[in-house]
Amino acid sequence: MHLILREFLDKWVYPTGFTGPGVEFRLRQTERCLPLWDKLVNQAIESAEKDLASGSDEYKAARARGGYAAEGPFMSLKQMSTQILSVEIGEQPQYIDLQRMRARQIWDEVKHGQLHADVLLRGGFIKREEELMNDARANTQPKLSYFGMTAMFPHIHPLARAGQHYYNESMACLGIAATLSVIDDDLIRHQLHSQSAEELMHFMEGKYQIDAYALTPEDQKPIEEVFDFLLRPWAPEPSRALGGTA
Amino acid sequence: MCYVACREIEINAVVVSPTAKHLLEIDERCSYPQCTVCLMYCPAEGSIVETDSGRSMVPPPPEVWTENRRWPRLP
Repeated sequence: MHLILREFLDKWVYPTGFTGPGVEFRLRQTERCLPLWDKLVNQAIESAEKDLASGSDEYKAARARGGYAAEGPFMSLKQMSTQILSVEIGEQPQYIDLQRMRARQIWDEVKHGQLHADVLLRGGFIKREEELMNDARANTQPKLSYFGMTAMFPHIHPLARAGQHYYNESMACLGIAATLSVIDDDLIRHQLHSQSAEELMHFMEGKYQIDAYALTPEDQKPIEEVFDFLLRPWAPEPSRALGGTA
Repeated sequence: MCYVACREIEINAVVVSPTAKHLLEIDERCSYPQCTVCLMYCPAEGSIVETDSGRSMVPPPPEVWTENRRWPRLP
């Protein structure tokens, strides 16, 4: 196991405020996540090393355009609204804190999009953010399971979102830590440092929701189904998910 | 997250300050070190400091999440 993952586990994953079936369920799901989290760390390091070896600054723009597409205003509003709608009016008294955190996440993710735009502006890749509207690379992202799971994963239960928060937002934290361990460019580091605490907060949302609320098999099932989906090898590859072979 | 965890166990010792910075403040209802539930859900490293010693409690040190310091959570 990579040291970056080990430190993340010891600092943020294993410490628990509660005992009970929610914690036990979360730790069982954690075991399923570990191989992919470890793989993610190694891939992020390899990717960063490859970027540095490219001898060009284009990697900074490519990362920022990809980030803008994945968590810019359009994707953020679209996907964050989906998670809010998973709590029906009658359930709001029970889950009002989760609703508040999820509403806040709309702003968080839009802000992350601005961080990516900032890299492109300050790096001299664009002159105005509006230019990104004409660039498909800054407006499309292929991953079904990226933080909103787009429309492929119905948010049919108020707690289903916890699986995504726990699995994907941890990957954001790990990817940021891994990249920071390699890349010393000021623009990239500024963007990543600005984002890292926020990603950790979203991971904590998942951790808290599972520990505190996923106490019965009925509440655990929709969360486990999210993990089932996200842990499938084709989850990041839409063409295979939709029946293709590419 | 710390204020949500604190509210969930009906202690409500962590409140959001009305200042422009929206700092989280901990009042006299906090029973630390008997209760440490908030520490495990605070993502901001170094944000909660033990008054007596000055040491950071985030991320939580191992002694604050031993079995007897955790809140039982039953269906």
